[in-house]
Amino acid sequence: MAARALSKSGRFDKVYKLVIGSRSASGVSKGSLPGPYPQTPEERAAAAKKYNLRLEDYQPYPDDGKGYGDYPMLPNRSQQERDPWYSWDHPDLRRNWGESMHWDFDMYTRNRVDTSPSPVDWSTMSKTLLGYLGFMLLMFGLGEVFPMYQPVMPKQYPYNDLYLERGGDPEKQPKPVKHYEI
Amino acid sequence: MYMTPMMLSSSLVLTLNILLYPLLTALDPTPKKPQWASTHVKTAVSTAFFISLIPLMMFLDQGTESIMINWHWMNTSTFDINISFKFDHYSLIFTPIALFVSWSILEFASWYMHSDPYMNRFFKYLLLFLVAMIVLVTANNMFQLFIGWEGVGIMSFLLIGWWYGRSDANTAALQAVLYNRVGDIGLILSMAWMATNMNSWEIQQIFFLSKDFNMTLPLLGLILAATGKSAQFGLHPWLPSAMEGPTPVSALLHSSTMVVAGIFLLIRLHPLMENNQLALTTCLCLGALTTLFTATCALTQNDIKKIVAFSTSSQLGLMMVTIGLNQPQLAFLHICTHAFFKAMLFLCSGSIIHSLNDEQDIRKMGGLHKLMPFTSSCLTIGSLALTGTPFLAGFFSKDAIIEALNTSHLNAWALALTLIATSFTAVYSFRVVFFVTMGTPRFLPLSPINENNPAVINPIKRLAWGSIIAGLIITSNFLPLKSPVMTMPFMLKLAALFVSIIGLLSAMELAAMTSKQFKTTPTLPLHNFSNMLGFFPSTIHRLMPKLNLTLGQLMATQLLDQSWLEKSGPKGIASMQIKMSTHASDPQQGMIKTYLTIFLLTSTLAILLMLL
Repeated sequence: MAARALSKSGRFDKVYKLVIGSRSASGVSKGSLPGPYPQTPEERAAAAKKYNLRLEDYQPYPDDGKGYGDYPMLPNRSQQERDPWYSWDHPDLRRNWGESMHWDFDMYTRNRVDTSPSPVDWSTMSKTLLGYLGFMLLMFGLGEVFPMYQPVMPKQYPYNDLYLERGGDPEKQPKPVKHYEI
Repeated sequence: MYMTPMMLSSSLVLTLNILLYPLLTALDPTPKKPQWASTHVKTAVSTAFFISLIPLMMFLDQGTESIMINWHWMNTSTFDINISFKFDHYSLIFTPIALFVSWSILEFASWYMHSDPYMNRFFKYLLLFLVAMIVLVTANNMFQLFIGWEGVGIMSFLLIGWWYGRSDANTAALQAVLYNRVGDIGLILSMAWMATNMNSWEIQQIFFLSKDFNMTLPLLGLILAATGKSAQFGLHPWLPSAMEGPTPVSALLHSSTMVVAGIFLLIRLHPLMENNQLALTTCLCLGALTTLFTATCALTQNDIKKIVAFSTSSQLGLMMVTIGLNQPQLAFLHICTHAFFKAMLFLCSGSIIHSLNDEQDIRKMGGLHKLMPFTSSCLTIGSLALTGTPFLAGFFSKDAIIEALNTSHLNAWALALTLIATSFTAVYSFRVVFFVTMGTPRFLPLSPINENNPAVINPIKRLAWGSIIAGLIITSNFLPLKSPVMTMPFMLKLAALFVSIIGLLSAMELAAMTSKQFKTTPTLPLHNFSNMLGFFPSTIHRLMPKLNLTLGQLMATQLLDQSWLEKSGPKGIASMQIKMSTHASDPQQGMIKTYLTIFLLTSTLAILLMLL
């Protein structure tokens, strides 16, 4: 609006054109934004070209109303799995310029979810860990039921089993309580 | 005018101010000289240490403790938040120890980090951490404690990620902050409960009012906070990952001071827990599980810093067990002695790593007792103190804890786990000493290994003295607040020593096998369990973020958009209408004659009934 106001005076026509031009040069051009699901093979080829993928590699998300459009469904592999020794354009991200980004790229960065293969497979790992935890909880439960140092007899207090301290009547004679003799 | 309280309070305030002075001067935009770190920061910490000995001596002599309320910070009509310091038995002993250890570590760091271009910033961060830790330890209200708590958490993040160009260091720093945050949920829960139910965050008032309430919920919150900060099982993976930071950081934060903050919180608020059996049992079982689990993980690690980190975690589990036994003073004693020998173990590791040109794998070390005699002997002293060798520092705390365990009425499985973990301690300590110092060198003789620099030797020497005599000094001068059990069967008394010797002998037997050639044996599943840290990081760090992030993504993009733009508007109304119309039109089969007949029949029946 400021540019339009300036341009009304006539002398600032060039400024207006510069500002308008620089506004339109920012951001992505219309052809490179994601679009609707590709129905025809030509649309598929155009979409693959748009995303810098080969036609064989390009696989869009299924069209079930979830809103993915023609965005490619890249394999769910973390950045950590990529070759650390290859000379990437962005070595910290292990990504080249212009490569199409995964839908969940923020989840698959090197600081987050890692899908690299583990020496032990997932089911063994989770079963072992859960089994270990379950075993520990079970044994803790058993340990509560059978604690260490179980007294063999009830505790015997002095002063007639603490008769007065427990609120006994000072006038009455207390009953003697003896569990064991020292 | 009584001299003692005035001297006590003024020397403690002076200590804090001496520590704050370099930080405030660092706000000055003029660039500092490269020696600023050594001349200003290290001198400040050593001066603060010597000054903090004055209140300690006064406490020893006369038993003075003090509570200072300095400033009414924020007040509503019913709730006050003040700046208040509590200088009691715990903080008066911990402050000089923390300052002594920090002094040694800062001197070591001036050698370790001397080639780092931002050494001044590094020292500034360490000093800021130290100030936050002392604020935490001397806090008399929950708010100030929380300030210190968060302060140490943030400084831990900044220092673990010191070499931020390394992606693994960033991941480790993120892990530390996220796990600590989960623990902070517990602390904030407790603080909120206390604010709403007791209307105060001052510790004295909380103790006084706690007799009227059922304190289970805030206590569980505090235990969660301690689980996060002190790396108990469930929130423990950040501690071994924190070894991505420089060795002075590991020595200061992740062995002596920051990780004990959680245990210290429980010690400080112990009177709330004394009578709550659920909280005590939780501490006991959690601590026992932690100590065994992390000791198991330490058995097969190959990175020297990771082994020491797991041993720290195991000792923290032991401290948690002690709290579960209703013995906060023994836990505090173990914190103090542990600080000395653990910091020394880290400094020795740092010295070894630097001398071997940044080699951290113990399979590539060896024969260092001839090349670095002082460092390897101090490593041995530290390991012996860690295992509880009689009459070194660790003995006084660890043996007392195991004796208290053996003579208490407690969960038998917790006792068993702790004893097994004690023997594992001997095993992995011997493994470290064997691989690092004994045998023949397994590295290339490229770097000139020497111990000529006093900046390395003097700190380790000081901490070695501490590891030997600190236990004796502390136990001789401070009476136990709870009387220990004096009589017990002979086997129970010797149990700790016995299991440690068993562990040591089995470790020596296994180590003797390393020089003989065996047939290649297949990898055992137990080795996998131990080496992959119990599969905990490999499963949880892949599952939980994936679930949470995908859920977040789906909620943000699909659930919200679909619900509010589609289902609650056009598409929702349309689908409801279609459903209703199909349900309504299904019965309409178009059988007019049947409908008319039924209508006739029912109307005739109704008229007949009315007439009758």
